[in-house]
Amino acid sequence: MTGSHRRILVVEDDPETAGQLVESLTSNGYKVDLATNGSDALSRGAAGDYAVITIDRMLPDIDGIAVMRQLRDDGIAAPVLIVSALGEVDDRVRGLRAGGDDYLVKPFSFVELVARVEALGRRSDTIVKETILRVGDLALDLVSRTASRRGKDIVLFPREFQLLEYLVRNEGRIVSRAMLLQHVWDLHFDPSTNIIDVYVGRVRRKVDGQQAYPLIHTVRGTGYCLRAPG
Amino acid sequence: MLLAKTLTSSTFRLALIAIGTFGVIVSAIFSYVYLSTSAYVRSRSDRAIVSEYLSLKSAYERSGRDGLIALIQERIADSSFADNVYILADPSSVTLAGNLKVWPSTATAPEGWIEFRAGEPLPNAANRPLLRAMLGTFPSRDRLLVGRDISELDGFADQIKTAVISGIVLIFLLAGVASILVTRRTVGRIESINATSRAIMQSGLDQRIPLRGTHDEWDRVAENLNLMLDRIETLMGEVRQVSDNVAHDLRTPLTRMRGRLEKAYHGQRISADDQALIGDTITDLDAVLRIFSSLTRIAQIETQARKGAFRTVNLVEIAGEVVELYDAAAEQVGTCLAVVGDREALVTGDRDLIFDAIANLVDNAIKHGRARGQVVVANENIDGKQVISIADDGPGIPAHEYEQVFKRFYRLEHSRYTPGNGLGLSLVAAVAHLHGARIEMLDNSPGLKLRLWFSPPVR
Repeated sequence: MTGSHRRILVVEDDPETAGQLVESLTSNGYKVDLATNGSDALSRGAAGDYAVITIDRMLPDIDGIAVMRQLRDDGIAAPVLIVSALGEVDDRVRGLRAGGDDYLVKPFSFVELVARVEALGRRSDTIVKETILRVGDLALDLVSRTASRRGKDIVLFPREFQLLEYLVRNEGRIVSRAMLLQHVWDLHFDPSTNIIDVYVGRVRRKVDGQQAYPLIHTVRGTGYCLRAPG
Repeated sequence: MLLAKTLTSSTFRLALIAIGTFGVIVSAIFSYVYLSTSAYVRSRSDRAIVSEYLSLKSAYERSGRDGLIALIQERIADSSFADNVYILADPSSVTLAGNLKVWPSTATAPEGWIEFRAGEPLPNAANRPLLRAMLGTFPSRDRLLVGRDISELDGFADQIKTAVISGIVLIFLLAGVASILVTRRTVGRIESINATSRAIMQSGLDQRIPLRGTHDEWDRVAENLNLMLDRIETLMGEVRQVSDNVAHDLRTPLTRMRGRLEKAYHGQRISADDQALIGDTITDLDAVLRIFSSLTRIAQIETQARKGAFRTVNLVEIAGEVVELYDAAAEQVGTCLAVVGDREALVTGDRDLIFDAIANLVDNAIKHGRARGQVVVANENIDGKQVISIADDGPGIPAHEYEQVFKRFYRLEHSRYTPGNGLGLSLVAAVAHLHGARIEMLDNSPGLKLRLWFSPPVR
């Protein structure tokens, strides 16, 4: 990962939210630039080489989506995360997820924001074609769609395998419930119940039950993280 | 369709009553005209008979039987008296003179009026004409009968009668047709107002009643209703604007608050107690935020804005995915969750919203159904509608609460302490309304069965 890929441009007009955004991204190892309005965002976006740009939908001068369009027209290819109030989530915003960009509905947890930024930033990394994914003693065979720990097969439903694969591909990173719904079930709304927790609970019992150490960890209030100890 | 509505409309009933009343009066007037006309014609003929009788009687008195016989023969020969009949008979009813040979058998009274059919044809008249005659007996007991052919009078009366009856029938017919046409026009205008009202209830306040530009009372009604709709739309817009602003203004500080709590939670020098406290606060704050986003989400669905993203989706596939997602949750409480029925049920809609609605219903069925019970999601095609039903075998809902449960924040007494915020079914109702789907609640005895009736996609 080159230095430029840890650079983020945050476009946010509310000073305190901006401060918190900058702080949580900085503490996760990003170098953050801040723009407080649309025109500032356009000039900074054109000048710097950013891994990800986050834009608030409601800016004092220009609509966040318009800023994003302008940046694209200027040849800026960096993925964009639009931060939007639920009432402003229209078809144009929903369409972002299909186009490789993303949106986040206010109010959001900062852990969720960081997780989304990580996921977007990774797009520019090279994707290695592997047939077997490994984390600790867990092995996922992507061809036969089977999972095993220490050579012992774990019986999973297809959807459970998909969920585990997504966690493994994001090894060491926080994956939010909304991201699981989006990538495993292709649902673009935020769950209003604890249903994902129950579902992950069952996968966890199958994967971590009677094992030397757990792989799937709960991140309180946000989601999950799959990582090997040490 | 329009004709059926026309015939059952109140305007048409009123028109029928008016036609009835008017018809009775017209019939009475026409009958009076008919009766008085025929009476007048008859009395004129009677007067002519009387004067002829009197002139013959005076001839008899003046010049005796032979003089009268001569006069009668003179009269018969005269073509201007061709309509008249005469008989002079002796006391034994043997005809002495006249153009009728036989004294009529009915004429037994010494004097008075009779009507009879002639026993023989008359020269200038139809076969055996109807005659009206005055008869009298002279002091010599000779008898005189003077009459006229009244067949033509009856023919004239019949003509008037025919004219009167056909006039009445024509009036009824024209009035009937006119009232259908007028009612049809009225019903047509009312129907266009009704159609617009229904469209407004189904798809939003942007529709208006079409004007015809005739500036009549209907156009004025339509104009006023349209003005009212404009006003309502403006007010709704203002209310939405205000609640959007409130939501936005509350969300920003809540976002900050959550940010600070998160920072404190992950802080270095924090005791385990404080961390637990902050963790619980974050959980509560998230619950508040979830209520917020549910409300905004329902409001957003109700604006119908998402109809633009509708496409053809398979209900069965969505139901299958929901069941798959909730399988783990059902397993946790030992409930058997199954999906049965058709393999394909195509409807036009928004997959995420339908998923959310079915998910809420399945979630409710698992939560409020019996532990170790059974929840069945069934897909059926009933009367051309795609019906998806979610049934549990729990305690169910009393029938009088069926309507209540769709209200925002409404919670049944026995479920007040189970998790949830009372917005799930409001969301289901909003999604169903957006898709034009009908919700039906049934007693599954035991338990509750909720059906969603979707219309198949328009091709």
